[in-house]
Amino acid sequence: MTFVDLLMLGFSEAITPANLAFCLLGALLGTLIGVLPGIGPTATIAVLLPITFFLPPLAGIIMLAGIYYGAQYGGSTTAVLVNLPGEASAVVTTLDGYQMARQGRAGAALAVAALGSFFAGTVATFAIALAGPTLSRFALNFGPAEYVSLMVFGLLAATILASGPVLKAIGMILIGLLLGMVGTDQATGAERLTFGAIELFDGIDFIVIAIGIFGFSEIIANLERTGSEGVKLAPLSRLWPTRQDFRDSWGAVLRGTGLGTLLGLLPGGGATLASFSAYSLEKKVSKHPERFGTGVVEGVAAPEAANNAAAQSSFIPLLTLGIPSNNMMAMMLSAFMIHGITPGPTVLTNQPEIFWGLVASMWIGNLLLVVINLPMIGLWVNLLTVPYRLLYPAILLFCCIGVYSMSNRIFDVVLAAGFGLLGYAFRKAKCEPGPLLLGFVLGPLLESNLRRTLLITQGDPTIFVERPISLAMLVATVLLLALMILPSFRRTREEAFQEEEV
Amino acid sequence: MARPSGPAKGDRPDLLSAGLFIGLGALGLYMGRGLESGTLAQMGPGFLPRAVCLLLVAVGLAVGIPALRRPAQAIEAIRLRPLLVITAAVVGFAYAATPLGFVLASLWLILAGSLADPGGRWRQVLPLAAGLTLFGALVFIYGLGVQVPLWPF
Amino acid sequence: MTITKTAALAAILSAAATGAALADWPTDRPIEMIVAFAPGGGTDIMLRTLAPFLEAELDTQFPVLNRPGASGEIAYTALSQARPDGYTVSSLNRPGFLTMQIGRKLRYDPAEICPIARIVEDPGTFIVQAGSPYKSLADLVAFAKENPGAVSVGTTGVGTDEHLAMLQLEQAAGIDLTAVPFGGANEAKTALLGGHVAMIGLNVGEYTQSDHDAFRALAQFSEARSTLAPDLATAWEQGFDVLMSSERGLAARCDVPEEVRAKLAAAVDTALANPEFQDKARQQALPLAYKSGTDWQADMPVRLARYTEIFKLIEGGQ
Repeated sequence: MTFVDLLMLGFSEAITPANLAFCLLGALLGTLIGVLPGIGPTATIAVLLPITFFLPPLAGIIMLAGIYYGAQYGGSTTAVLVNLPGEASAVVTTLDGYQMARQGRAGAALAVAALGSFFAGTVATFAIALAGPTLSRFALNFGPAEYVSLMVFGLLAATILASGPVLKAIGMILIGLLLGMVGTDQATGAERLTFGAIELFDGIDFIVIAIGIFGFSEIIANLERTGSEGVKLAPLSRLWPTRQDFRDSWGAVLRGTGLGTLLGLLPGGGATLASFSAYSLEKKVSKHPERFGTGVVEGVAAPEAANNAAAQSSFIPLLTLGIPSNNMMAMMLSAFMIHGITPGPTVLTNQPEIFWGLVASMWIGNLLLVVINLPMIGLWVNLLTVPYRLLYPAILLFCCIGVYSMSNRIFDVVLAAGFGLLGYAFRKAKCEPGPLLLGFVLGPLLESNLRRTLLITQGDPTIFVERPISLAMLVATVLLLALMILPSFRRTREEAFQEEEV
Repeated sequence: MARPSGPAKGDRPDLLSAGLFIGLGALGLYMGRGLESGTLAQMGPGFLPRAVCLLLVAVGLAVGIPALRRPAQAIEAIRLRPLLVITAAVVGFAYAATPLGFVLASLWLILAGSLADPGGRWRQVLPLAAGLTLFGALVFIYGLGVQVPLWPF
Repeated sequence: MTITKTAALAAILSAAATGAALADWPTDRPIEMIVAFAPGGGTDIMLRTLAPFLEAELDTQFPVLNRPGASGEIAYTALSQARPDGYTVSSLNRPGFLTMQIGRKLRYDPAEICPIARIVEDPGTFIVQAGSPYKSLADLVAFAKENPGAVSVGTTGVGTDEHLAMLQLEQAAGIDLTAVPFGGANEAKTALLGGHVAMIGLNVGEYTQSDHDAFRALAQFSEARSTLAPDLATAWEQGFDVLMSSERGLAARCDVPEEVRAKLAAAVDTALANPEFQDKARQQALPLAYKSGTDWQADMPVRLARYTEIFKLIEGGQ
């Protein structure tokens, strides 16, 4: 069968009323849990998994996939409207998205995010269809050594993200790394930095830190200024993006899509790495990097496109090799297994309707999400006209339930309150929290892979320069470092931020 | 030595950052003192935490020492009311959720939390608390199956 | 006098309270099922497949809670800290449960955890890439003899099945291998496919579900060939004394009332006899092997002694 035939087969499977309905249901549910801070897709899918027993295989999988990418769309809404990243990949969306909202351009930010995500989703879906097996071979080239180099590069790129002094950003990354080490050491089972608390055995959850440092401390800081009356956003200037917005963002969407599709293939921090490296890339190629962080549309378009592309392409290793690249995909694998389908090359040949049906439904799901989300923007934006004294108790409640529901633990909520205090201290110290969260997400990947690499080579570090992909990334890291240290670069950087620092 | 020479010196936000970096680094070093470092080939659980903490202390010093000599810059005014009230409301919610149930915990969170705002009016806060609690119970507990009891019994 | 009376009264009251709680068990409160491994692994799939059948049997919810890490210690510690009311059970994996008791300071008392039932027994195996030069254990051993430490073996942590099988092979063949811990079987498989480790340990069940064009199994480590892989030679047949199979079941705290544990065990037994469940288990390649908690508990000390011996032999040899 040719590609077109297979694609037609997929669409004919996905377009049946039942499958469409499950796709819509999944997308709606996903948007809902994405908007609610703290309630993540992994937990929701774990709850829904047994229900899919009673659905036909394709319908169940389509619904779960819909929840997954629906949550990606919904997550950006909270990030833009209330400066609260629901998951790691939305951290960078808060940087410019929330600033746009404060300037009365929340509608434009959300529309660009939705359209950028749709474009990225479409491209990534076609990448799965056309080049899935090839791309998965690329992902397999990433062994422990390559991960180490990639993470080092990623952590350095994270310093570009912040608009303050580089040293402070590095300090925040280090704190993130340290927080990521809390818990039981994977290799030896030793207990680290847990203060003897059993609740810290599994480490700290991302949501606890994000809600503490972003959610709670934002509320405290807002109320501190002049009480709730003082929190005024600029009046809504216009609901839709201007022509200039589109002109500014299409390049960013393209670059974000490319980065996201590639990085999404990699296990673990793929989507996170994708969204913030897309942001860093935009800031590097931009003619006005100094305006990043003050509400530029590229700063929303690039990471949103990247994380949606990554969300789609993280299906590739699962569908072509049968290997899940993150917890979410492991849940999807269980969903396949429950129906006796083992994803992998054999499914591609023996049950093409499953693979192509899912691919087609992903595209339809993305289309549905745009159709659902664009009219909802008007509604969301109206939420911002609600006086802050009525809004903040609601945010407080949603944050608390979200944190609690992760593992039904009092401890997590108290810990989040503690991170709220820490986040408040960071605000007073003028330290931006974004790099901390990125260090936190990438740190454990860096550590376990570094230790694995050195176990495999029996302590010989030359492997990092012997392997071409690793070498290429280390060279890029050195170049980036040189750029940051070079005096000329430093001067322009300081000029760029002078206005903010004075 | 660390004392600024006059009132006109010292970038307070940067000094605070330095304090946070050095403090957390030192805390990490202290907490991880019993962990083995191991060798490069067989890295122990203490190897990287120790390295990260030392770097953190170094970065703290690098941020703090120049900040001593820079012209004075004050930290934004700190107001304790929102800080304490919000934290207390959240911690109270945490301890109330399982024994007292969601309804009481949620009412506490919203009523106590709204004390953080000096401009709050009870006539608005009470219906808000009732409405949000109802919404939370319907969406989170019935809809999304969050496992928390509704009532204390 | 009064003291005895009060004590007696208290005893009666508490007995009555327990009795009432027992009669009720399970009420509509959900029974939390802690899984010591990440979603998608063999133990996780087994319990997620079983949960709906237990739910039907006991008429309550069985939410699955993954608490992966430290070869299962995190999950067992969580179990030992739960209330002994029968509303928290956890997965129990042997040999992991026993080997962590050897030379490691634990955060829980293993004597507090009692098995409810064994559900699956799945022999271990070593797999290599399909294109690998090793066709049998003998090939691998010959190479490792020439190059001590050069063969890296992906495991899922210290003292897990794969690690123990590796230790036994080192001992039996007089070779030196390098263990590389991964977060789970899926991570290890990815690393093997990419050629970043030479060999990984898996269970036969996990192996039969993988793509056979990509992987080759070298041996299985059971006494007799598993029904799942009748064509795969055992290590014994190939002349190496390696015995390792993964037994997975459910456990609860020992101070959960006897009746509650018996009810749970009976529910597992009934579910395993259900043809619908057996169908699902076949699809998931789960080699079912029910054993009651008491029987399973009975041979724990013997096994523990054997594993302690393996650890000692290896330590002595190095």
